[in-house]
Amino acid sequence: MSAVVSLRRIGLPRLIVHASVLVICFIWLIPTLGILVTSFREAGQITASGWWTAFTGAAETSAARLGEPSTAKQNGATYVISGSVFEGGKGGSVRAFGTRVAAPTEFAAGKPADIGDGETLTINEDGSYTYSKNAPFESGRGKRVYLSVATPPSFTTENYRTVLTSQGIGQSFVNSLTVAVPATIIPILIAAFAAYALSWMEFPGRALIIALVVGLIVVPLQMSLIPLLKMYNEIGNFFGVPSRSYAGIWLAHSAFGMPLAIYLLRNYISGLPREIIESARVDGASDFEIFVKIILPLSFPALASFSIFQFLWTWNDLLVAMVFLGTGKDQLVLTGALNALLGSMGGKWEILTASAFITIVVPIIVFFALQRYLVRGLLAGSVKGG
Amino acid sequence: MKASFWIGTALAALLAGGAVAQELKFAPGQDSKFTWKSYEDFKAAHANLKGQSLTLFGPWRGEDEVLFNSVLAYFNAATGINGRYSSSENYEQQIVIDTQAGSPPNIAIIPQPGLLADLAAKGFLTSLGQENSDWVKTNYGSGGDWIRYGTYKGKDGKEAYFGFPFKADFKSMVWYVPENFEEAGYEVPKTMEDLIKLSDQIVKDGGVPWCIGLGSGGATGWPATDWVEDMMLRTQKPEVYDKWVSNEVKFNDPAVIGAIDEFGKFAKNPKYVSGGVAAVASTDFRDSPKGLFGIPPKCYLHHQASFVPSFFPPDTKLGTDADFFYLPTYASKPELGTPVLGAGTMFAITKDSPTAKAFIEFLKTPIAHEVWMAQSSFLTPFKGANPNAYANDVLKKQGELLTTATTFRFDASDLMPGKIGAGAFWTGMVDYVGGKDAKTVATDIQKAWDGLK
Repeated sequence: MSAVVSLRRIGLPRLIVHASVLVICFIWLIPTLGILVTSFREAGQITASGWWTAFTGAAETSAARLGEPSTAKQNGATYVISGSVFEGGKGGSVRAFGTRVAAPTEFAAGKPADIGDGETLTINEDGSYTYSKNAPFESGRGKRVYLSVATPPSFTTENYRTVLTSQGIGQSFVNSLTVAVPATIIPILIAAFAAYALSWMEFPGRALIIALVVGLIVVPLQMSLIPLLKMYNEIGNFFGVPSRSYAGIWLAHSAFGMPLAIYLLRNYISGLPREIIESARVDGASDFEIFVKIILPLSFPALASFSIFQFLWTWNDLLVAMVFLGTGKDQLVLTGALNALLGSMGGKWEILTASAFITIVVPIIVFFALQRYLVRGLLAGSVKGG
Repeated sequence: MKASFWIGTALAALLAGGAVAQELKFAPGQDSKFTWKSYEDFKAAHANLKGQSLTLFGPWRGEDEVLFNSVLAYFNAATGINGRYSSSENYEQQIVIDTQAGSPPNIAIIPQPGLLADLAAKGFLTSLGQENSDWVKTNYGSGGDWIRYGTYKGKDGKEAYFGFPFKADFKSMVWYVPENFEEAGYEVPKTMEDLIKLSDQIVKDGGVPWCIGLGSGGATGWPATDWVEDMMLRTQKPEVYDKWVSNEVKFNDPAVIGAIDEFGKFAKNPKYVSGGVAAVASTDFRDSPKGLFGIPPKCYLHHQASFVPSFFPPDTKLGTDADFFYLPTYASKPELGTPVLGAGTMFAITKDSPTAKAFIEFLKTPIAHEVWMAQSSFLTPFKGANPNAYANDVLKKQGELLTTATTFRFDASDLMPGKIGAGAFWTGMVDYVGGKDAKTVATDIQKAWDGLK
């Protein structure tokens, strides 16, 4: 009866809440699980059946070729070809076989089947076969037979090997980091300064600037690609430097991320208690000192959460990198290199899913490293009561 | 294997005469199926460009990129030019961004003449001149048609020749598994009437004749445009096809509606298509051909372009495990000849330089074609290239059909304005398969076209 007691202690409403959280988590995780399972399957399996069938051994129908007529041995009046249908290396146990593609499981394994023309064929469960005829076999390719084979579930790490050992993937990993790390730090730094100024420094036109920044959030970046690249080209020509460089893409990412960064950080920083900042002023702290000693430490949760957003966005970005860094082999970022692996026509699920799990590693590290601060910041606020 | 590789590179390094030693797929001078003389002549004529650079940008990624780079390696080895190829998933958008912003590659490789025409009109392309136009006309199979697809109005409003075709795709083909045909006793049909009869026969035998899949992510519907274009060429004169492309013949003209309904004969017949009509729009075009190889087969026939073998099961041998036949014409319309629907990639100069000009010259040498022919998925209408260089008989057969076609027509959807050929036409076909009738769909597409003017 302890179950009932503990159930009563938890209470029904809480139980329902917990159950729904579990269900939602489970539903939320299904696609990721599917991708994970798919990434460990062979290309042929992926197109043949769904990932949820991966754990149960399936009866697969496949084709095999018997030995060529030239390998037939004469045994009295009959000619016999024998061997194993699993010579390709694949194993399993044969359940049924057939000689017509329209009826691939016509005969049960282990029993001789009369297939006309005086020919008999027996395929045993272990794959060995004897194919005999009461006259010489006609020459040509080996006869095609169809098998229903029970195969145990099988997984492969081949997809990961293909992706990880493909040419230039290491270089592109380094490129991605070179792009993403500064492109995360620069906008946060600038945005934090701007957010402080916009929330705690009095100057004319402040409200107008805030409105302008908020307005910039709605400008789609695709619209500004051409003018921006044009500007880069002109500057590059003027100084005689290539227009496509890391500096260029850092600035581009910073600019695209800035409006949202300023908006978010300003909202947070302007919500900090006025008393702290005013008493610091009274004690004679300059604006810079207030910013460095008070604002930055207090707004760490906001900085951390925004840096997660910004890092994810720059890490996953393909378009901006292609436009501002170029498409050459030595400039490709990880997303670009993985995308190139898919080929002109795409559709390679085994590569796609394996690359998804490889790219996910770095953002997950970043997330868990910063998540600690996120949670701490939230808890500190709740204990104080706002 | 390793030894031959080292000998190959050593030879290449020797022949390149001190130029950067790049790995050449086939050692120059060996194997007589290659026209090595053209390589040596080209090398002799372009010795003064050593050390300069050339950038190329195009649609090929993955395996195709490796193949193109193997061709480019010969150009680099012969001239000492540092030619580099790159690509991007959104190359159509990227090339527009690059040309407008003023940092284009030297050469853009684009499979859509419609897009090139746009770029030419804005003055971003350099004309290849009358000389190249004449060369293509005389040296390519149905060369007159090919130069039409590379000739656009420039910024000054005058027509000039901009796009050099290299690598063609052949679309009028039906794939099948010869052994399945053999077992069931089916013959390859010679006429469209026979093809329909064969489809009925397969249904009668309890099978499903066709695998049709239109799914392609954001481009869902395009495989149906190939069907309609092929049917257009099999029911109407090529002139009508051309007028259809330029919208002189309206999209809702009875001729076009007739062609759409011809496609419907196959795609909208629930007994004809694997998985029923509802599966047509939802099946991915990359998964669709796999039905041919099912056991038992999900279908016996599949209409798709020459690239499709890369989506066959991995160990499929072309010619024995899978083969194709030319999508036949109606015996009742002999006046239409043997029309071929195809597509091709166009090379255009987006930033002029001596190296870019040299590369266009390189494309005129047989060796540039043969190196790719000898590997895979490459067809050329160039009559000077040795057909024996093709890697297998299936490719060779396609190449022959391409060079001997009485009529060659470029994929209409690539020629139409982007909003139609890569928009309304695609979605219209999905609607059609989804249940709307041909007339409504065609009228909708025409409305979209009218909206552009």
